[in-house]
Amino acid sequence: MNWSLFFDLTVSGLTLGSLYALIALGYSMVYGILKLLNFAHGDVYMIGAFIGWFALHGLGGPISPDVGAWIVTVLMFLAAMVGCGVLGVVIERFAYRPLRNAPRIAPLISALGVSFFLQNSALLLFGAAFRDYDSFDLIGSRTRHVGQVYYATPQILTVCGAIALMVVLTLIVARTTVGKAMRATSFDREAAAMMGIDVDRVISVTFFLGSALAGAAGVMFGLVFGQIYHYMGFIAGLKGFTAAVIGGIGSIPGAMLGGLVVGLLESYATGYLPQGSTFQNLYVFAVLIAVILVRPSGLLGRAAIQKV
Amino acid sequence: MSAPARLLDLRGVGKSFGGLRVISNLDMHVDEAEIVSVIGPNGAGKTTLFNLVTGIFRPDEGDIVLDGRSIVGLEPHQITNRGVARTFQTLRLFLNMTVKENVMAAQYGRTRSTVVEAMLRLPRARREEREIARLAEEKLAFFGSRLMGYRWDQPAYSLSYANRRRLEIARAMATTPRILLLDEPAAGMNPAETHEITELIGKLRSEAGHTILVIEHDMHVVEGISDRVVALDHGEKIAEGTFDEVATNERVVEAYLGPRHTRKK
Amino acid sequence: MVDLPSPADRPDEPRVGTDEWVASHGERTARRTGVTGFIARVWDRLPPFGRLAVFVVPTAFLPFLMSEENLTRYALYTLFYALMGLGLNVVVGYAGLLDLGYIAFVGFGAYGYGILASPQFGNHFQAELAIPAVAIATAVLGLLVGLPSRRLVGDYLAIVTLFFGQAFVVFVNNANRIDFPHFGHVDLTGGANGLSDIYPPNFFGYEINSTRRYFYFVLAAFALVLTALYFANESRTGRAWRALREDPLAAETMTVPVNRLKLLAFAFGAGLAGFTGAIYGSFQTGAFPGDYDVGLLITIYAVVILGGTGSLAGVALGAIIINCAPELLRSEHNASLLFYGVILLTILGKVRPWRVLGVFLGGLVAFGFAVHAIADAAWPRLTAAHAHSTGFLKGPIEDWVLLPRHPVKIADYGYVILIAAILLVTRLDGWRRLVALVPTVYLGAFVWENLLITQTAGATRLILLGALLVALMNARPQGLLGTARVEIV
Repeated sequence: MNWSLFFDLTVSGLTLGSLYALIALGYSMVYGILKLLNFAHGDVYMIGAFIGWFALHGLGGPISPDVGAWIVTVLMFLAAMVGCGVLGVVIERFAYRPLRNAPRIAPLISALGVSFFLQNSALLLFGAAFRDYDSFDLIGSRTRHVGQVYYATPQILTVCGAIALMVVLTLIVARTTVGKAMRATSFDREAAAMMGIDVDRVISVTFFLGSALAGAAGVMFGLVFGQIYHYMGFIAGLKGFTAAVIGGIGSIPGAMLGGLVVGLLESYATGYLPQGSTFQNLYVFAVLIAVILVRPSGLLGRAAIQKV
Repeated sequence: MSAPARLLDLRGVGKSFGGLRVISNLDMHVDEAEIVSVIGPNGAGKTTLFNLVTGIFRPDEGDIVLDGRSIVGLEPHQITNRGVARTFQTLRLFLNMTVKENVMAAQYGRTRSTVVEAMLRLPRARREEREIARLAEEKLAFFGSRLMGYRWDQPAYSLSYANRRRLEIARAMATTPRILLLDEPAAGMNPAETHEITELIGKLRSEAGHTILVIEHDMHVVEGISDRVVALDHGEKIAEGTFDEVATNERVVEAYLGPRHTRKK
Repeated sequence: MVDLPSPADRPDEPRVGTDEWVASHGERTARRTGVTGFIARVWDRLPPFGRLAVFVVPTAFLPFLMSEENLTRYALYTLFYALMGLGLNVVVGYAGLLDLGYIAFVGFGAYGYGILASPQFGNHFQAELAIPAVAIATAVLGLLVGLPSRRLVGDYLAIVTLFFGQAFVVFVNNANRIDFPHFGHVDLTGGANGLSDIYPPNFFGYEINSTRRYFYFVLAAFALVLTALYFANESRTGRAWRALREDPLAAETMTVPVNRLKLLAFAFGAGLAGFTGAIYGSFQTGAFPGDYDVGLLITIYAVVILGGTGSLAGVALGAIIINCAPELLRSEHNASLLFYGVILLTILGKVRPWRVLGVFLGGLVAFGFAVHAIADAAWPRLTAAHAHSTGFLKGPIEDWVLLPRHPVKIADYGYVILIAAILLVTRLDGWRRLVALVPTVYLGAFVWENLLITQTAGATRLILLGALLVALMNARPQGLLGTARVEIV
């Protein structure tokens, strides 16, 4: 077995998986509370990548930043996370909240509309050309290695950053009052409202957190892969949702696990399967079908008992 | 004189949900043309019993026999086609379909024409369509003027609660069942409506010829209709017999009112 | 027990506790007045075939009124969208299954027909054989996709089918370089270049080779499919589909084999999609991977949802709006007329009473001239450019809207601010909203003239489509011709 290829694929799979996990978290949290497929989530991630790009260039660009490179990176993340968080809250407020009691299909169509709107607004404002993060100029191009495992700075930054964000999210959900309210709301929205929980606020917070994570993932994508474009949100959103479903939708550890599974799978498919780079999405699709058929509630999801 | 034919027979039926025993070793039967009531406190397993009989859940053990043939393992629609129809405790009408369509939809299993025949308006499809409409009108007429006339073409969600219950019964009747399972038909009704339901259940047997198994909390209704009463508690049968026998049974009183009450008495 | 009067005693009197009021709910809300009410009543009284005639007969005269190009752009594409919408309506509207891979079936039909009748494999089958064969093959494919999906509820089905749609696009994009076992290298789909030179359909020697012939052929297909679906919906199968949409468990206990009917709906919708796709592919004389992607999917969903899911007339209306409105946007002049027209009509319809309306319009005009005059005096560069709008609009707009010489950056900011302003206006009410609306409308005109109008063929159309979907769902979740549904979760 070619170990160095294996390690390379693993590293890139973990990087990709971290991105998917962050996107999947947003999907999963929103689904857990509203039972809504937020199709616009992938486009929020795309907007995050662009906010990061504008932050980078607002601070002097990658080659000669106004402040230290690491401070620039942190500011890019902050800008993208706050920007996307606010965007998520606004989307929820205007596109989903009025439809709380409408038929299930209405918010879904509204979500598709928002997705279309964001994507084409980006096309209108930012153009169809790719934009380059030039992250190697910013945070160094040195490839490091531990034994046979080679990795670049943006990759380790992505994996560690994703882990850190997930830890913070887990703490928020598990320890804080608003986290408790989120769990209560996802369990039974009406009962939570009757217990004095401000459900609208909880939903806003959920959208803020989920969208902020997507924004961070957008910046990470820019740092790792360099180029961003207005269409990048769609496929990433699809993968993120797949990750959420594979892990068990509504479950936060499930979203993380699902993200890693999808990322690694895609990476190994590229390396080991026939015509893997062309058909990687098909392989992911096949695994999704298999998981749903064997465990419809996902790897870490709980099966809901049907009440008759 | 031979014993009346056993229409529905449950033999040693048991069901658990993840370690929680909801029904255990239940034997009970319903004879042809009988009205049997199932009573018991909340959580006694009454609705689960219905779900087992109609095939929504599959029993872990035991056998359910309808007219001499086991129905365990059949899908719900197959069981309904064999002649078991039910209503739901929490009403489950097709709310956005019209009153008449609700009753027509329940005749899917007893008709055969394909969608292609329907699109081409072939003779069989048209004949069946006429029969479906006629039977639906007949079943709705069973409830007097309540579900007649302009109401046919109104969506089911526009009906009052009591009329929704009536429509559910009409829908169940349209599957031409041999045995009707009514899950708390008088729940949420006012005294006049409850009174009416009691008479209706009698009519369902005397005029429509249905055998009836009914879950009911209202003891006036149970007293008024039942040939036989079965009392459940924690998934076990604790008493069976005529209404008076069961109502005075010590274990039944205990199940409803708690053990202290019986001791004091 | 108290002797209550039995409810049948006095049937004429409404009583507390009975449902007269609830029962008349539908009549009370549905009684509309004015022209729309009159049209609605006439429409309701028409027999089904009458309704079909109202749509088809005037349409049949269109070829005599329009140029070939306009016939294609406005009429033919509308009919194609309507046909695609009818198939989707079976799956989504009747059976309530959220199929997001629907367009792949249309694509499969187009590619399938292309393989049977194009130089790619040298085949040229007669259309009376090829089109039914393709439709049946697509229905079988729908059945295969439905098989693993039949246990999936709602959103899981949506995601699996969405992925199937993506898989289809990936497949046709790359199926020119797959090595099949036994057959070796086969170029099945032409890869990214697609299949080209698909032959026009040839029925028993009669070739559909002109726009006009295509138009009548598709119109006839539409009328036939519509009629067939009307009967299907009123049959036991149609009722069973709607019953399972309403409550699958109750349907199952009421003798409806739910799984089988879901599969049937899936295959049925796919078959219709394949049928439409075959004609569509031959009309476009080619099948290309990019055509059958999410863009078309959303368009067809918009057609079905806009008109009202489950309503056949709604599909036709939705197709007309979704196809014709963006088509009008393609020319800058029409686009401007449409843009300002819609804004003006909305204001005229929504601002009441007349006095307020007059003050509002006057204020709007005055505001624009004031801003323009100030800018003209202080920063002449802001008013230096010429308007994109032509015709009678050109003069007033150049005097009213700011047209900077280098609009790119300032218009970008204007766009973002405009979105924020529109969202803000929806949150205000009363006179505050009216006051805020004045600069918002002006800003809208500014962004339109300087940014949106330059992209009318591309991004702008799709932005407006997206915004339209969101706005419509907010205003009327059941669609234009749909009836409000009650859903109990």
